[in-house]
Amino acid sequence: MPAISVDTFFACSLMVLLVLSAMASTSKLLYPHINNTVNDSIAERCREISKYLLLSDGTPSNWGQNSQTIPETFGLAKAESDNPYELDIDKVSRLNSENLYAISYAQIFAALKMSDVSFCMEIRPIFEVAVNLTATYPSVNETIYQFEISTEKHGILVQAELKCYVVAENYLETSYLHVSNGRTYFNITLSNDVMGPALFVVLAKAVCNAKIVSFGVCPFAHNSAEPKPKSTFLKLSPLNYTLNASSVYPGINLSKAYALTINYNSTLTQTSSSNQSITYSLPHFLDPSPTLIVVTGWNSTVFFIEWTAYPQLPLQIGVRFTDLTALSNVFANTYAVTINSAVYGCTVWLGGPRE
Amino acid sequence: MKSNNKGQIRIIEAFLAVLIIFSSFAVSANFTITRNATRRDDLASVGSQALLKLDSDGSLGKFIDDGNWTALRDALNILLPVGVCFNLTVYDDQMQQINTAVISNGGFSSQQIHFTEYICASQGTVFRCYIIHMHLAVAT
Repeated sequence: MPAISVDTFFACSLMVLLVLSAMASTSKLLYPHINNTVNDSIAERCREISKYLLLSDGTPSNWGQNSQTIPETFGLAKAESDNPYELDIDKVSRLNSENLYAISYAQIFAALKMSDVSFCMEIRPIFEVAVNLTATYPSVNETIYQFEISTEKHGILVQAELKCYVVAENYLETSYLHVSNGRTYFNITLSNDVMGPALFVVLAKAVCNAKIVSFGVCPFAHNSAEPKPKSTFLKLSPLNYTLNASSVYPGINLSKAYALTINYNSTLTQTSSSNQSITYSLPHFLDPSPTLIVVTGWNSTVFFIEWTAYPQLPLQIGVRFTDLTALSNVFANTYAVTINSAVYGCTVWLGGPRE
Repeated sequence: MKSNNKGQIRIIEAFLAVLIIFSSFAVSANFTITRNATRRDDLASVGSQALLKLDSDGSLGKFIDDGNWTALRDALNILLPVGVCFNLTVYDDQMQQINTAVISNGGFSSQQIHFTEYICASQGTVFRCYIIHMHLAVAT
C-alpha cells in the first residue's frame, strides 16, 4: 500500500472521529434545551402506572401484614378502602430497608410485571421538622437543654402545633401542645439523677389541617457519652401492629418501650422473646399521626435508646435516576397519600421505555 | 493485470469512511436519548388530588362554610408541590363567586396554565354545594 493512501486513510479516520466527538458532545449539551417535545404517550403511560401503584392493593391484598408473603402483583393501597390514595401502613413499612421484613426492589420489579419500566418511590411527611440542640445550661441538680424546632417545607415556614416528648432511662416526659409559627425554641429540664443518653421527640401537625403531620427526633447526651447512630444496637421492625426488636449484639437487655403519637402515648408490653429478638404489641391509636416507637435498653453497661416510626417513614426505594448513565427519560408524579388518616407526600419517578 | 488493480485501495478507503460516518451517526443518535429529563406532569391532576385530600375529611367544605380563605390557601400551599402557583375561585351552585379574598400563592409567570374544576359538598348540617375553579402553573 502506498504511503499516501495510508496517510489519507488516517486523515479521514481522524476527521471522522473529530466529527463524531463534536456531534456527541453537542447533542449531549443541547439535548435538554432542544428536546421540549416529550413523548406524551410515554408520559401518560408513566402517570397511569404511578397511579396503579398507589390505587391497587396487589395480590394477595393483605401482603403487607404477613412478613413472609411476597406479593404476586404489586400495589400499595389499603385493601377495601373507600378513599382513593389511602395506603396500607404495613405495605409502606415493608418498602423501608430498615425493616427486617422489607421486600427488595427486585421482588417489586418482578411483581410489577413490566419489564420495560423502572421506578423510584419516595414517601415522606409533607413538611419537615428539624430539631437542633442549641444550648445547654448545667447546674448542680439539673440541666436545662434548649432546642430549636423548625417546621418548614423546602425552606418555607409552616405553622404547626407541636407535641414534645423526652425519653431517657425509666423516664418519659410529655409537653402540652405548643403552637409554632415555623421556628421556635423549647427548653427541657432534666434532673441529673436521670441516666442518658436521652431522646427528644417532636410530633407536629399543621395548623391549617390536623391531618398534615410530621415528626423530628434529636438524641442528645445527658450524664452520658454522645449517643450512637440509629440502629447501632437494635433493628426495629414494626409490622401488623407488632414490633420486632432484634438485637445487633448478643447480651442486650431491653428495659422500656414506648409508642408516642400527637394525642396519645403508651408503654408497650412484651408479647414474646427469644435470644435475638423481642416482640411487642403496638396499640391502634385513633389519631391521625405517625406512631413514634422508642425502645430503651442496656448493652452490658452502656444505656441506649433506639427509635423508629410506624409507618416506617421517610423512605425511598428503587432506581437512582440521578445517574447520568440512565437510559431513558424520567417522569416524576407527586401525590398526597393517606396512611392511617395522616397525609404524606409520595413522589414516583418512572423511567419510560426508550423512544 | 497491474493496471486492473489500480484504484482498488481508494474504493476500500471510501467504503471504510462511509462505514465510520454511518456508525458515528448511529452512536450519536443513541446519545440523544441517554439523558434524564425529569418532568412534573399534569398539574391539573395534582390540583384535583390536593382538593380531594382536603375534601376527604370534610375540611375543604368547612373552610368554605367558615369563609376561612387563609387556612384554605395555607393548606393548599402545603399540599401542592413546591414551585406550583395556584389561584382558586369558589362558586356556589348559582355560579356566584363566594370567596371574598384572593386565594392564591403568587402571580402566574408561566405561559402554560392548567385548569381543574372540583365540586365539593359541605358536610355541615345544611347541605351546600360548591364549585371550585383552580388554575395552576409552574413558577418560573
